[in-house]
Amino acid sequence: MIRFVLRRVLAAIPIGLVVTLGVYALVFAMPGDPLRELAGDKPIPAAVLAAKRAQFHLDDPFIVQYLLSMKDILTGHFGTTFAGADIADQLRLRIPVTLKLTLLANAFQWTLGLFFGIYAGFKRNGWVDRSLLLTTLVLLAVPGLVAYFAAQYLFGVELKWFPVSGVLEGFPRSYLLPALVIGVLGFAGLARLLRTSIVETVNADFVKTARAKGLGEQRVLWRHILPNALLPVITFIGLDLAGMFGGAIITESIFNLPGLGQFMFQAIKLKEGGVVVLLSTLAFISFIVINLLVDVLYGVVDPRVRNV
Amino acid sequence: MGAALGLALVLASCGDGKSSDGGSGSGGAKSEVIAIAADPLEYINPLNENGSPGIQIAMAMFAPLVTTDPNTGKLQNVMADSVTPDKTSQTWTIKLKPGNTFQNGQPVTAKDYVDSWNMTAEGSNAWKNNGFFSKVDGYDALNPPTADGATPKPTAVKTLSGLKQVDNLTFTVKLKVPFSQFGLTLQYLGLAPLPEEVRKNPDAYKRKPIGNGPYKLAADWNAGDDIKLAKWDGYKASAAPEADSITYRFIPNADTAYNEFLAGNVDFTDVPSTKVKSFKTDAPDQWVTSVSSGANYLVFPAWDPRYKNPKLRHAFSEAIDRKAFADLVGLSDPAKGLIAPDINGYRPDACKYCDFDATKAKQLLQEAGGFSGVVNISYSTTSATGQIFAEAIGNMLRQNLGLQVKYTGKQGSEITELADSRKLDGLRFGGWGHDYPSIEDYLTPMFKTNGDANFAGYSNPALDAVLAKGDAEPDQEKAIKLYQQAEDIALEDMPLIPLYTKSNAYLHSAKIEPRVSKYVGVSALWATFK
Repeated sequence: MIRFVLRRVLAAIPIGLVVTLGVYALVFAMPGDPLRELAGDKPIPAAVLAAKRAQFHLDDPFIVQYLLSMKDILTGHFGTTFAGADIADQLRLRIPVTLKLTLLANAFQWTLGLFFGIYAGFKRNGWVDRSLLLTTLVLLAVPGLVAYFAAQYLFGVELKWFPVSGVLEGFPRSYLLPALVIGVLGFAGLARLLRTSIVETVNADFVKTARAKGLGEQRVLWRHILPNALLPVITFIGLDLAGMFGGAIITESIFNLPGLGQFMFQAIKLKEGGVVVLLSTLAFISFIVINLLVDVLYGVVDPRVRNV
Repeated sequence: MGAALGLALVLASCGDGKSSDGGSGSGGAKSEVIAIAADPLEYINPLNENGSPGIQIAMAMFAPLVTTDPNTGKLQNVMADSVTPDKTSQTWTIKLKPGNTFQNGQPVTAKDYVDSWNMTAEGSNAWKNNGFFSKVDGYDALNPPTADGATPKPTAVKTLSGLKQVDNLTFTVKLKVPFSQFGLTLQYLGLAPLPEEVRKNPDAYKRKPIGNGPYKLAADWNAGDDIKLAKWDGYKASAAPEADSITYRFIPNADTAYNEFLAGNVDFTDVPSTKVKSFKTDAPDQWVTSVSSGANYLVFPAWDPRYKNPKLRHAFSEAIDRKAFADLVGLSDPAKGLIAPDINGYRPDACKYCDFDATKAKQLLQEAGGFSGVVNISYSTTSATGQIFAEAIGNMLRQNLGLQVKYTGKQGSEITELADSRKLDGLRFGGWGHDYPSIEDYLTPMFKTNGDANFAGYSNPALDAVLAKGDAEPDQEKAIKLYQQAEDIALEDMPLIPLYTKSNAYLHSAKIEPRVSKYVGVSALWATFK
């Protein structure tokens, strides 16, 4: 078990380097001068420009900039953004916001997804199954941008059930509406995956065997079908959860939640390579950790793939 | 604690809004919540701030030397008792009113100004308003050229030779060359003084600024927080705005700010470009618009010989239906001059080649010998409307001049960079808004050889000479005449085509009435309460 975990962590290091280098290269390759983006149309005096360039290593070649950024990240010297914000402070403020939003959104998504997926899987071709198919198709087709603004206008501005934006009303009130919209838009994939998986499992030989042994229908459902049908779903949920440190860029912007997504958006807009790489590294680490957990959990559910 | 207090304040202000809607008007505290469609500020230091959110906060917390009277458009004193140029407009004497203090109780003296300005002028401090002082004698000594990639070292010289303290309340500014408009530039909030304790360690006061203006921080201000201001009793330099307390709420997404307004949670917000067509019905009787300010142009590449003939540029200009284009942009007026309509010296019909006339346009193009190749129009992909505007212009050139047109979408900053290195192909859009309300602040930056915002890479010694004459003319009326001559030269050469001037729209709650001025635009800070 420990060897398995160690192997995975070691394997993650080169992947992490490739990923961060790639992300840095992409930001570096974006057209336009970052400091010009910061200044708008106004001219910046040469001395000010030179001082800023030196502070952010903008005159160094690509690989040197990348290594300096990585050094700063690994030694915990995050420095400041172009706009002068202390990056460590920003992370301290923003990580909880993103965590609250994604965890709540995932809770909604899983509850809806599991409930409808299981129901539709067991009662397939019933009216719930058919309307689920239709609903999920519609939901998958709605662009997030439209749904977020529509929900904000309807439930925030008109009905006043939820705050329109911001985190002034704290957890959970300020997070409920965006999390609900994410959950409702996102549960479709999970529900359909689970439904299909259940339908496939129901026809498996071991289920027939269980029935032939004379086990009760409830026991067959909950002990034989569901654990096996859940296997692909665990992978799906793991991947979904792992993406959360990327932040929900559009949601955070529309609902004015100062999380990592907004931070990432600003950093990309201003071509702040250092910040983008820092946030990508965070996202990468959370990805590795959560995937590791998923793999361990997989072993618990399915003895065939146990890595002990 | 901070968050709880913030909530209480916002809730309180919402409550106020509703009660005064009911017409009770029961005295009470006058408070307003102003939305700022930008990321939260990281520090408040007017001298190191040139963005509009920062300057907006500075306007409440700091006081300028002089300001434009919103009713008459004339310059009036605030911190200054008098601002007097010498005969050539090269040396300016600034006398401060006695009795004004900073919010820490210390008197505001000439030394505070001189020392604050010296700090800003020193290049190695990298403060954003450094460039303002490039006109002052001795600037170059504080800003020696730095090799590429090197960090500017603090200079041995720490003071501008052109800045001299005369007595406790008087100082003089000697400029490199005469500049008749210098008095107008002094209303910029980015020149506000910092008190001595802040100058000693500016970083320690990033989040607890000590101003000299009508408002001070009402609560601790931490990273990401809204800014809550309360009236400061010690302000005596001029009349103060009506509000007792103001909350500036940062909402980076302008559409979200708009929805917050509709929900009744903020008292004042800008109308984002996406709502230009709908705001009048969304918030009837709760909107105001400013007069058009700033101006927008279509810019020729001076480096491309195909566009060199002024006749050809006039032909392009005549081929554009400005009325139709302004309607497309919305809230806009066709521009027939190079400066904005709210500026002293503006002439509504300065341009002789700006009336839509397809026949004349064709004739001019013929006289110019036609145009070979395809006209490229670059537009910014960062703007939602860039492509639509480019295609509108392109269609007019195609239909009215029979030209072939193509379009290139790029990031705004990339277009600017290509143009600066003179590699950009064809036309692009440009816009300019003044830093100080003077006709000169349009002509010098855009048309003087190597001007700060000379989009077109334009240069004409005759125009430079007229500008220099205007800069040295102490009589403002005469100076304006000279600047108008410069505008005429620029219009004759037409390195860029005037397109439209745009007004801005704002929404305000029923309890406040923003100040609307023909000269300084719309202000929520100076709103009156009903």
